[in-house]
Amino acid sequence: MKQDKTLRTLRGLMLAINLVLVVYYSLIRGLTPLRVAAGFEARDFLAQAGMVPAPPWQMAVLSLGVFIPLAVLMLGKDHLPADRPALRASVFAAEILLAAAEVITLDFYYRALFLMVLADLVSTVQERYGRVCIIAVLTLLYALSDYDIASAVFPSIPMRQYLSYYTDGYHSWFSGVESLLTSLHVLLFVVFLVLLFLGQKAENTRVQQLNAQLQESYRQLQEYADKTAHMAELRERNRLAREIHDTLGHTLTGIIMTTDASLVLMDAAPDQAKQQLQLANRTAREGLNDVRRSINALRPDALEHSDFAEALENTIEKFCLTTSARVTYVQNAGELDFAPDEEEAIYRVIQESLTNGVRHGQARNIEVRLDREGDQLTITVRDDGIGMPAGKKEGFGLRHMRERLELLHGSLRYGNRPAEQGGGFELTARLQPRQKGEENI
Amino acid sequence: MKRRTAVLLGAAAVAAAVGITAVLCRPRQDTVLHLGVFSGSYWGTPNGSSYQVLDDAISRFESSHPGVRVEYESGIPTDEYSEWLSGKLLAGEEPDLFFVLPEDFGLLAETGALAPLDWLIDGQNGLERSIYYDACLQAGLYEGSQLALPYESAAMVMFVNRTLLEEYGIPMPENDWTWDDLYTICRTIATAQPDSTQRDYGIYGYTWQNALYANGSTLFSEDGRQCYLSDSRVTAAIQFVQGLNALDAGYTVTAQDFDTGHVAFRPFLFSEYRAYQPYPWRVKKYSSFVWDCLRMPAGPEGGNTSELHTVQVGISARSSHTELAWELLCSLCADEVTQGQLFLQSQGISPLRDVTENTALLNRIFAETQGTSTFNSAAIGEIMRTAATVPQFAAREQAVAMAETAVSGALADNASLTTSLAAAQREIDLYLQNTG
Repeated sequence: MKQDKTLRTLRGLMLAINLVLVVYYSLIRGLTPLRVAAGFEARDFLAQAGMVPAPPWQMAVLSLGVFIPLAVLMLGKDHLPADRPALRASVFAAEILLAAAEVITLDFYYRALFLMVLADLVSTVQERYGRVCIIAVLTLLYALSDYDIASAVFPSIPMRQYLSYYTDGYHSWFSGVESLLTSLHVLLFVVFLVLLFLGQKAENTRVQQLNAQLQESYRQLQEYADKTAHMAELRERNRLAREIHDTLGHTLTGIIMTTDASLVLMDAAPDQAKQQLQLANRTAREGLNDVRRSINALRPDALEHSDFAEALENTIEKFCLTTSARVTYVQNAGELDFAPDEEEAIYRVIQESLTNGVRHGQARNIEVRLDREGDQLTITVRDDGIGMPAGKKEGFGLRHMRERLELLHGSLRYGNRPAEQGGGFELTARLQPRQKGEENI
Repeated sequence: MKRRTAVLLGAAAVAAAVGITAVLCRPRQDTVLHLGVFSGSYWGTPNGSSYQVLDDAISRFESSHPGVRVEYESGIPTDEYSEWLSGKLLAGEEPDLFFVLPEDFGLLAETGALAPLDWLIDGQNGLERSIYYDACLQAGLYEGSQLALPYESAAMVMFVNRTLLEEYGIPMPENDWTWDDLYTICRTIATAQPDSTQRDYGIYGYTWQNALYANGSTLFSEDGRQCYLSDSRVTAAIQFVQGLNALDAGYTVTAQDFDTGHVAFRPFLFSEYRAYQPYPWRVKKYSSFVWDCLRMPAGPEGGNTSELHTVQVGISARSSHTELAWELLCSLCADEVTQGQLFLQSQGISPLRDVTENTALLNRIFAETQGTSTFNSAAIGEIMRTAATVPQFAAREQAVAMAETAVSGALADNASLTTSLAAAQREIDLYLQNTG
């Protein structure tokens, strides 16, 4: 930004020097013939020049007439819209043409104007191809507009002839000022290009730094992505562990209990034992199916093939048949129409609680209630078993139950019931089933 | 804000309307043609009514071109005219058409100050080139292009002191006389001289440059790029003039000798003859003898050719009224009324064949000398038809000076004339090529 400002200042200075030189040449060119005519040397002048010079006012009028639009174009170019390449290209071409016209109207006395336009355009044009074109064209114009070359095509009276009509003092004064200004102009041109070059180098370095930062960010992002994948894997592994516990644990508990019963009954009532064994057999098969299903879709088979209410009833009925416990099922929650993940959670809570009640609490009676209060669904499982031993940590089953519920923004409460209320264990799960169509958050 | 814009727009519209009305209703201005002209006669002879012919021609032109006005700056002496015109050219204020002096034509043509006229000559309002004598038209030719039209010419003729010839019993030569005739007469006068201080001479002011045209040569090529100094015809002219001068036995004849009647011949421009021929000039200038005029004597390889000087008129290359200027140019240079008037009043010869060879005009001009002079009206036409135009170019003055120095050096050194002239010619050629 600061560099842009410096470049603009340099360009302004170059423009000012060129203006002074244009005025200088116009004055020498315009006033000398009048002075010569007043000194009665006009015929000598004509004979020496070999041509009639253009009227004295002509160079001043034409060169300033071209210089002003050139300066306007040069300074106004900064406000060109960047997204109009055709307009930009034509403005650049116009600038070059105006510079050429200016050099021609100055009778090729001065051609460093092309250097100023070169510096200006090279600092404006960003496209590599465009830059090369501009440099080539302007260098060619600069080379061709050498006075000795150009005056073969555009004959004009050399500046030195005009100057020769002044006394030596004036002559060297004029030439001195002229060469001072032209040298200053060339110096500014060189400084301009050097600054432009250095600025571009700095920009290149900055681009490289930014690129390195980008690479670093990309690497970090990659790391995060790896971590996330790892965490997803862990989560999935936990889920699988839960599934195995929920399905295999439940089934195997049933089978053990049934086979225990059949062992007891084997001698006393072989028919009943047989019945128990058949039940165990059925439970094992269902367990197998459960495992298969877990592997496939990790979704309870009961839920897969029937509607939720029916599946719950079937499970409870089957539980009653496979265990000695008596289950009372009270359904006060109206229509049981939930999202699949909610269904699965409710199913697992009930299934796990029943299993726990029999396996750990040795309960004889278990009550399962489903209540709904507004949006709130409450699952209560209560038994008359020995309850949870004091100081025992939350087991795997309970923890997974809680996790499952928390995923659905629900809660889990459990504990031993006081003795006056009949003792045993009570578990209450609460959740707010989503409305139909509501997305899982 | 809106109201202010409306007011501004309204004001702008009113201003534009006023401006357009002013432009449309402005008084119609005449087209002004500027003419560059010098005062007096170019031929250095007295001329009392120098602008008369011009003013008459201009008023005829203006009356046939309503809305056109011709202006000129009067009072510019002939010898300042070149500088005046050059100054105007430098200031970019040169007239639309201007007179071109013979010595200026080369410079004005080379610097591109003159507009080519060929397309106008061949155009709708053009003219036939054959109305002019070839030599006159040739004076305005530059690199194959006609840049000016002849206005007035003057040819070199030979003055003869008839009184002196009669004293020596020499008959008046005919108009087709030769170098030999001239030499014989001069030798006759020279040999008849007594050894006294008061003697008569054959000729005064006759240089090798006057002689070479009559020997079929010129000193420079038409384009001014080449010098013919070592050409055998030029060498012959130099040797002839050297031979004539040798008759004077080391004495340098002066103009005073001629004016007092002691010299038989002197070359002069025809304009001089016309200026001093009528009364009272005739008596005032050369009162002690009867004088007449002859064509220039012919060299062995040429005819009775005179060198011709022509004042021309050209159109500025930067004029914005070129076609109008052309019409004025024609009414000055190609109009028989103007040219006839000029022929009567000025001392030159008209470049128009029909004017110069108009018997009625000639009778009026030569009324006084008719019958007594060998130089009659028939001779003028002959002079003009055979005259040679001196090639004009910018470097001519310097080149002539170089040639003169070389010739006088070669004659003084007594060295081989041919060798030293060849060396000088190479040097002059080099100079011409470098400056041209």
